Amino acid sequence: MINNDDSPIRKIIHVDMDAFFASVEQRDNPALRDQPVAVGGSAERGVVAAASYEARQFGVRSAMPSVTAARRCPSLIFVSPRFEVYRAVSQQIREIFSRYSDLLEPLSLDEAYLDVTEDKSQVGSAIRTAEKIRSAILEETGLTASAGVSYNKFLAKIASDQNKPDGIFVIRPHEGAAFVTSLPVRRFYGVGPKTAERMDRLGIHRGADLRAKTMNFMIEHFGKSAGYLYYAARGIDQRLVRSDRIRKSVGRERTFGENLSTDTALGAALEDIIESVWDRIEHNKVSGRTITLKVKYADFRQITRSRSCEQCLTNKSQFGATARALLAQLLPVSMDVRLMGLTLSSLSAVEPSRASRMVNYSVNSQRNFDF
Amino acid sequence: MKFSISRDSLVRSLNLVAGVVERRQTLPILANVLLVLKEDWLSLTGTDLEVELVGRIQLAVAGEESGEVTVPARKLLDICKSLPEGSEVKFSVKESKVAVRSGSSRFTLSTLPAREFPNVENSIGTHQLTIKQGQLKRLIDRTGFAMAQQDVRYYLNGMLWELDSKQLRVVATDGHRLAMCTLKEKINVTGEGGVQVILPRKGVLELVRLLTDDEADIQINIGSNHIRAATGEYTFTSKLVDGKFPDYGKVVPRSPNNILKGSRQSLRQAFTRTAILSNEKFRGVRLKLTENTLDIVANNPEQEEAEETVSIDYSGEALEIGFNVSYLLDVLGVLSGDQIKLSLADPNSSALLEESEEDDSLYVVMPMRL
Repeated sequence: MINNDDSPIRKIIHVDMDAFFASVEQRDNPALRDQPVAVGGSAERGVVAAASYEARQFGVRSAMPSVTAARRCPSLIFVSPRFEVYRAVSQQIREIFSRYSDLLEPLSLDEAYLDVTEDKSQVGSAIRTAEKIRSAILEETGLTASAGVSYNKFLAKIASDQNKPDGIFVIRPHEGAAFVTSLPVRRFYGVGPKTAERMDRLGIHRGADLRAKTMNFMIEHFGKSAGYLYYAARGIDQRLVRSDRIRKSVGRERTFGENLSTDTALGAALEDIIESVWDRIEHNKVSGRTITLKVKYADFRQITRSRSCEQCLTNKSQFGATARALLAQLLPVSMDVRLMGLTLSSLSAVEPSRASRMVNYSVNSQRNFDF
Repeated sequence: MKFSISRDSLVRSLNLVAGVVERRQTLPILANVLLVLKEDWLSLTGTDLEVELVGRIQLAVAGEESGEVTVPARKLLDICKSLPEGSEVKFSVKESKVAVRSGSSRFTLSTLPAREFPNVENSIGTHQLTIKQGQLKRLIDRTGFAMAQQDVRYYLNGMLWELDSKQLRVVATDGHRLAMCTLKEKINVTGEGGVQVILPRKGVLELVRLLTDDEADIQINIGSNHIRAATGEYTFTSKLVDGKFPDYGKVVPRSPNNILKGSRQSLRQAFTRTAILSNEKFRGVRLKLTENTLDIVANNPEQEEAEETVSIDYSGEALEIGFNVSYLLDVLGVLSGDQIKLSLADPNSSALLEESEEDDSLYVVMPMRL
């Protein structure tokens, strides 16, 4: 797979909307423009889902507890999310993408990879295509996007972040390896705070440090990600832009307004969560084999318990019973609980994910008899 | 109970009877085959409570002491299959064991009491007919592939048999494609009026295995809950699916006016090749029709592509339509004529596939969205 020297150089664009949810809110409500805005709940336990660039100047970040955000930026305006609007805008931008490529992989509502090697609309250059996409997005949605253009997904994604917001950055094939050398490891896709910390302890801070390590070293320390990181450090990433990405898990978690302290209250809360997760399972038309229960205690200690079944869980009573059995292992409750979550994974898609509906050949678009 | 039997005739019969036995059963005794000895006749019965098959073998030498016993079906079959061809197998029951001996091989099998062996209840037949095994085999072979598998619309997991006073027609569909075959020869049916029954999928698959002699008769007896079919050596009984089969006439396109005629073999080969690079799961291929030319294109998520050009006879409008290539190949695989006919209305409507020479079979395939 790696020895691919003969294959033509691919052209990949990563498009990422700038402060997506917050920008949509600022677009639709002029009073919010130029103001620090956080989309998310302002309640005591709320979390920031997205922050406007004005808010980011105060150090407000997404996934930050609303309380912390309000402390950092006292003038922060909290807005409740309107997901149906975001989804509609997301559809609009995906439609724009589809004018320029049939091979696109949405990563979330606001970002996607496009493989434009084929140059569907005969623009002539990937950079011009990226610019056309950005201006079409601005014209048709009133929002700005940033784009990264390169020869693989890894670099395209890093590039889109380089000149954010409303910017574009290009990493050409001969620049890739050198670009990665000076890149801090935490900017590698897939390297989160935990991995970055581990790398730090191993004396790996930049791409060059990573590149100096052998494959055996990588396997020993980074397990499954070893291959990806080894090649990424050399500016190589063979992952294809896949339009049929399937969802890996379905779940949901709830932070309680007040910590729960009794077994009964936890049991009741679990029933609620079972209901809503099952709804999502049905909505997404998936079934899965592994159920994971997550509990976060008042002291922020977090534990998970999971159980895998040999066959897919196909009915709600089975799903509920397994979830209850997992909770029973943790009872009687030793400390107040602030958060509980339930996730179904090892999924088999009953139908392909929404994302794959974009490209005809990887979609189950089989028509049915009408009887 | 004691008898001797030729290994070959036992294997032939046991193969069919054990086919009915499920690998996983709800009752231990359902893993067993019932052996009944009556003088020089041995009968073997396998059942899963839905489908029952009884095979009868005449012994060269009458057995000693008639009797009945049940033994593990799969193990007995595996033992007999691995004995040398042409050998004789001796059975004898001792207490609760069955001893099986052949040449220098000896086996002792556990048994369960024959009185506990369940039999599929048989309702009184309302319609009877006798046809040739070859006729029934053609009906099933031509349509069986289109039966649904484990569909929640349980009535699709089987085959519709539609009988009126002179005609037998079978239909199978999984909701995406439909296959229909009508017996060309007129038949004689005893019974009042017409009848529509659904045979369960498993019953159909087991029944067709019995039809080895095209010229021999098979007697069919249809009741309200069961169907029974008897050949000289076997009696097959199956429960019927209790449900209403969809109105298949509704899905057959009325008058598709874009008609393609082409060589079955060259189309089949072209589809087989393009299928290799279609999406493994959804199997979509794109058909582009222009005057006397068919282009078939397949893509997969790895961006690989297959393209075939086939010359055909076509003067309809230029058209692009997508299909699950497996559905087309299934049909081309069972048709036999040199020429086939594909009739299309538009890219969103069902397509009709037929042979140009024979006219007993008809296939409807829904397209994929492009």
